[in-house]
Amino acid sequence: MIKRVLIANRGEIALRILRACRQLGIEAVVAFSEADRESRAVLVADEAICIGPADAKRSYLSAPAVISAALATGCDAIHPGYGFLSENAAFAEAAAAHGLTFIGPSAEVLERFESKAGVRALLAKHGLPTIPGSDGVVADEAAAAKAAAKIGYPVILKASAGGGGRGMRVIQSADDLAHLFSLCTQEAQAAFGDGSLYLEKYLIDTHHVEVQIAVDKAGTALHFGERDCSVQRRHQKLVEESPSTALTPKVREEFLARAAKAIGAAGYRNLGTLEFLVGADGKPYFIEINCRIQVEHPVTEAVTGVDLVALQIRLAAGDLMPFTQEQIERRGHAIEFRLTAEDPAQEFRPQAGEITTFRSPSGPWVRFDSHLYAGYEVPPYYDSLLAKLIVWGNTREEAIARSRAALREVEIGGVATTRDFFLGLLETPSFLNGTATTGMLDAIGTADILAAAPKARA
Amino acid sequence: MPQNIERIGELLDSLLPVLVERLHETGLGEIEVERDGTTVRVRAEDLGAPVAPIPAPTAARGGTSSATATAPSAADERRHPVHSTAVGFVKLAPDIHVGGKVAKGSLVATVDVLGVAVEVRADHAGIVAKLRCATGDPVEYGQELFLLESVGEGKL
Repeated sequence: MIKRVLIANRGEIALRILRACRQLGIEAVVAFSEADRESRAVLVADEAICIGPADAKRSYLSAPAVISAALATGCDAIHPGYGFLSENAAFAEAAAAHGLTFIGPSAEVLERFESKAGVRALLAKHGLPTIPGSDGVVADEAAAAKAAAKIGYPVILKASAGGGGRGMRVIQSADDLAHLFSLCTQEAQAAFGDGSLYLEKYLIDTHHVEVQIAVDKAGTALHFGERDCSVQRRHQKLVEESPSTALTPKVREEFLARAAKAIGAAGYRNLGTLEFLVGADGKPYFIEINCRIQVEHPVTEAVTGVDLVALQIRLAAGDLMPFTQEQIERRGHAIEFRLTAEDPAQEFRPQAGEITTFRSPSGPWVRFDSHLYAGYEVPPYYDSLLAKLIVWGNTREEAIARSRAALREVEIGGVATTRDFFLGLLETPSFLNGTATTGMLDAIGTADILAAAPKARA
Repeated sequence: MPQNIERIGELLDSLLPVLVERLHETGLGEIEVERDGTTVRVRAEDLGAPVAPIPAPTAARGGTSSATATAPSAADERRHPVHSTAVGFVKLAPDIHVGGKVAKGSLVATVDVLGVAVEVRADHAGIVAKLRCATGDPVEYGQELFLLESVGEGKL
């Protein structure tokens, strides 16, 4: 039973969790840093508590501050959102030690799924195909060189403790490896506190396809279909959709069922996402797991009608799965656009400053999750996500047409945003015909995509 | 010019605390002093109440008193709110009660963060004018714990 949740996050996801809590009749307290005092989640919340200064290390990333805030406000659970402390096993353990329910997998589960290299091996054992790679973490440069020679270049060197699209580097040759191995180790050490690296064959022009799964405490594991997140820039997702255009119906159903079965058998619990790359052979290969709610979860909510955040809270509270796999119907097509405070005309340079005008789109099957309002000051300290536009249609074509209409209604003044980039993307043939891969933005320049955007009324 | 400015600065430093204290004691609305050809005038509008009522924030609602945009009056300059340096449960030092004396840099409270006592030290010397919390209260980061009022040092 969860009665009162501390929301230990910010931006749109803090608002999203607040809504789920209210819907479930659970009290919520929003934890915020000094830089977020005027954020919409804080203003909308019945209760909020300042946990530290703008520096995330002393606020959203400080386990003692977050747990202390939960105790000070009488909460019995913590929702970590995404990023920050959401996949931190030590944090989950500390929360539990203070009698707080961590809304996510338990510390033991997080620990088991913490090492990316280890999870690869674990899920391979449970029947998921993986991309050829090193046998776990590579001990040193010589071991990496040996593994890379066996797999064949190019390879991708990844931080075992990495995540969120960071801590990865493509290695084109043995020379590259000699140059970059120690640098990558240092970078991983600095960014994640763990310099361990592993490597995988680097597949060019793949689709990034992920499976939303949920497992209750009894081990019942269900999937909620897949999301295609192939439109990326430097491993950062820009657009997500469901279903994926890269899977045939036959491959899809077998693949989804196998993913759910494997993750349940591997001992995973609560909500999670399995990420795969679909290569030229049309088959998905497992790459990594995300042990948290994801930014793009609304895409799945749109096609299944399941409130994933509410489900996550119920599972953390100890509820059994409220439905069977057969009861999860996937209908139509949904697309999400991540509107960020970045200037696509200037290498996606992050923006900060006051939002001077703000108009959100609306209409049938349009969802707009955002923490913005006119007069809100976008702080420079955190990630640049401003809003998520999620559009549903009976078909992909209908969803795209509705997306165009909805994007044109979006008005965010004061900072440069990615809106026009998306309008251009929706005129770009490779996106329209569903063949866009993770290499798309390297093949088509940002300038060309921006130029394809219909001109706004002067 | 710079010399002049420096001299005025010195004058203000030595005179202002005393003037403010005099104003406070006498209840006068305004005091003017001339020294070496420079005139210093101090005016107070709210001296009837030595401590202006500032809405007390609660940990729950999360709003510490927002700074108003008015220019600080002499009385404001003597008031030094002491803020929590952490989120947790506060424990005030023994001499933190209304009228208690506080030395600059002294330990005035600790905030218990999961068993770790995080120190709160006074940035100014002064007398505790108003308590905003009690030992054992949950406090948020930056929350005002109590109000210190500085007293002039030395006499004219």
